[in-house]
Amino acid sequence: MEQNNGPKFSKPRFVQPGESMVPPGSPQELIVEEEAPALSAEVVDGKEVRTPNSQKKSQTPLQDSLRRLRKDFRAMFCLGVIAFYVLLAIFGPPIYRMAGPDYKSNMTNTVIPASVYRDFTHQEADRKHEGPSAQYWLGTDSIGRDLFARLMQGMLISIAVAAVVELIDIFLGVTVGVLAGYYGGWIDFVLARFTDVIFAFPGLLFIILLVGILGSKANDTLGNIPVIGANGNARLLFVSIGLALTVWPLMARYVRGQTLQLKEQQFVEAARTSGATDFTIIVRHLIPNLFSIVIIASTLNIANTIISEAGISLLGLGVQPPGSSIGLMISDATTFLENHPWEALMPSFVLVIIVLAFSFLGDGLRDAFDPRSKD
Amino acid sequence: MLKFLIKRFIGLLFVILCVTFLTFIIGYYAPSNPIQIMMGDHPNKLLEAQLKHAYGLDLPPLQQYLNFLIRLLHFDLGTSFKTIGRPVNDIIGEGLPISLELGMWALLIQICIGVPVGIISAIRANSWTDTISMGAALIIYALPAFILGILVQFLIIWLDNTFGWSWPNTQWGTPWQYTWTDIQYKLAPILVYGATGMAYFARLARTSMLEILRQDYVRTARAKGLYERAVIYRHAFRNALIPLITIIGLSVGFLVAGAFFIERIFSIPGIAGITLDSIDNLDYPVVQATTVVLAIGVVFGNLLSDICYTLVDPRIKAE
Repeated sequence: MEQNNGPKFSKPRFVQPGESMVPPGSPQELIVEEEAPALSAEVVDGKEVRTPNSQKKSQTPLQDSLRRLRKDFRAMFCLGVIAFYVLLAIFGPPIYRMAGPDYKSNMTNTVIPASVYRDFTHQEADRKHEGPSAQYWLGTDSIGRDLFARLMQGMLISIAVAAVVELIDIFLGVTVGVLAGYYGGWIDFVLARFTDVIFAFPGLLFIILLVGILGSKANDTLGNIPVIGANGNARLLFVSIGLALTVWPLMARYVRGQTLQLKEQQFVEAARTSGATDFTIIVRHLIPNLFSIVIIASTLNIANTIISEAGISLLGLGVQPPGSSIGLMISDATTFLENHPWEALMPSFVLVIIVLAFSFLGDGLRDAFDPRSKD
Repeated sequence: MLKFLIKRFIGLLFVILCVTFLTFIIGYYAPSNPIQIMMGDHPNKLLEAQLKHAYGLDLPPLQQYLNFLIRLLHFDLGTSFKTIGRPVNDIIGEGLPISLELGMWALLIQICIGVPVGIISAIRANSWTDTISMGAALIIYALPAFILGILVQFLIIWLDNTFGWSWPNTQWGTPWQYTWTDIQYKLAPILVYGATGMAYFARLARTSMLEILRQDYVRTARAKGLYERAVIYRHAFRNALIPLITIIGLSVGFLVAGAFFIERIFSIPGIAGITLDSIDNLDYPVVQATTVVLAIGVVFGNLLSDICYTLVDPRIKAE
C-alpha cells in the first residue's frame, strides 16, 4: 500500500483542482481505487456464484464486465442517448438539409431550397427569433439562423473536441503512466512534480491564457485548412490541446497506480521468467490490463471536456462566429433571455443531457468493471 | 509539522514560478504585435522603437522574464498597453475587491450550508431528507456553473415580469456595502457561484460522516451510553471535518475557474471579467498580471488548507 501511495503525496487528496465539474464523487472514488488492491480476474470471477453449467463456457473478465454492464439499465440508457447524440451530430445535418420544402423569401422574392436555408451559417433577415415550426424545427436565432442546424453543428464540435482530447489524453497518460509505474526513477519523479503543479493550478485558467493570447491569430494560420480552420473553428485546436495538456497527468496517475499493482502479479513474473523483454511485458501484458481503468477515466473525462469546450466558447474564446458551438449558442442568446428564453434554454438543456449521460455511463462502467467499488 | 509546512510552501513557490514562466512565455510568443496596435493608423519606426524600449520589449527574453519577476516581487505588475501608461495595479485594484467579495461569500455559503446538509444527510441516511438533499446536490453538481447562472437569470426575469418586481439580474452593487439594493445585486451571483461547491461539500461531508459513524470508537461511545447528540457532535462530527478541510484549498481553485463564467454571465466587473476584456483588447500585461494574481489566490488557498489540516489533525506531525 505504501508503495502505491508513494512518497509524492503527503496527504490524502480527495479531488483534483480543475475537476470541479466532474460527475458526483468520481475522481475521489477513482483515487480510492488506485489505492485499493488490484482489480484482478480472479477476484472478479470469485464473486460470481458458479453453477456447473456456467463453468462449461468460461467467460473472460471482459465478457463478464460487459454482461454486468448490459444488465445496468441506467448505463445502457445513457449509452443509447450518447449513440443518438453522435448519430444526430454526424448524419443529422445532411439529412435535415435534404428533407425540406423550398421556401419563397418575401424579402428577396426568390425561392431558396432547404439545403441553403437549413445551413447553420445561413441568415434569413426577416425570420428572426422564431419559434419551432415545420420549416425551422427548433426556430431561429437573433439573426435568422436555423437553430436546429446550429445545434447539430455544436454537437458535432463537442464530440470532435472530446475525441481529440481523449486521444491525446489516453496516449500521453498511458505512455507516461506505464513507464512511470514500471520503471519508476526520474520519469516517476517528473510525473509526480508535473501532476502536483497541474493539481495546484486550475486548468481552465491556463487554457484561457493560452487561447486568449495565442488564439487571436489562429484564424490566419489555420484558416485555410478545410475542416480545422473553417467556420471559425481555428481556435478549437488550441482549446483541445490545452484541455488535453491539463487532463493527461490525472490519467497518467491512475495508470501508474494500476501498473504498480499489475507488475507485482504472477503473470508478469511468469512472462519475465520465460524470457519476455520489458517491451513485450508492457505491450502484451500490462497495457491490455489497463483497459478498464482507461475506459472509465476517459468516459468521465469526456463529460468534463464537453462542459469545458462549451464554457470556453461561451466566454468567446472558442468557436468564433459564424461557426457554431453549444456554448456560443448560449452566449448569443443570453442577451435575449427576457423575450426569447427558448434560444438559451434549449442548447443548455441539450448540454446538460449529454453531460449527464456521460457521467452516468462512466459510473455504470465503473460498477461493471470493478464491482467492489459499489457501496 | 513546521518541516511539513516548509516543504509545502516550497512546493507552492515552485508552482507560482511555473505559472509566471508560463504566462511570460505565452505572452512573449503572442502572435500579434501590441505596439503596432497601440500606434494605430500612424506607424512610426522611431516611436515603435521608443515604445518597445519603454516597455522593455527590446531586451532578450530571459532578461525580460527576470525583469517581470523582479517587478512582481515589488508588487509592480507593469503598465497597460490599452490605456497607455496606466499601471496594471490600478486596473486590478478596481476588480480585485469585487472578486474577493464574491469569492469570500461563495466560500462561506459552501461551508456553512454544504457541510451541515451533508452531516444531517449522513445522520439520517436513507431517509427522505437524505434522498431529497442528496438528489438536489447531485443535480446541482452535475450542472455546469454557467447553465445554472442562466437558469437563475431566467428565473429572476420571470419573477420580475410576473410579480412586477425590479430585481436586477446583472451587474454588481458597491463592493463591501450591504444596503438592500446591493444585496439584491449580489444575492443571485453569490448563490450560483457557491452552488457547485455547496453540493460538493454536502456530498463529501455525507461520505466522510458515514465513514466515521462506522468506526469502532463511535460504537464504543454509543456502547458506554453517551447521548446520541454527544456521540455525533463531540466524537463523529469533529473527525468528519478533517477531510473537508483539505477541500477548502481546492475549492478556492474551483472558485477561480468559476469566476470567469459567473462574472461574464452576470456582467460583474471583477478580476476575471477584466481578464476577458484584456484578452479582447490584446492587453497582455493585464492578462499576465491577472493570471498571476489568480494563481497566487489558488496557491494561497492550498497553503491555507494545509495549515488548517496540520492544526486539526495531529497525526500529520509524525511526518
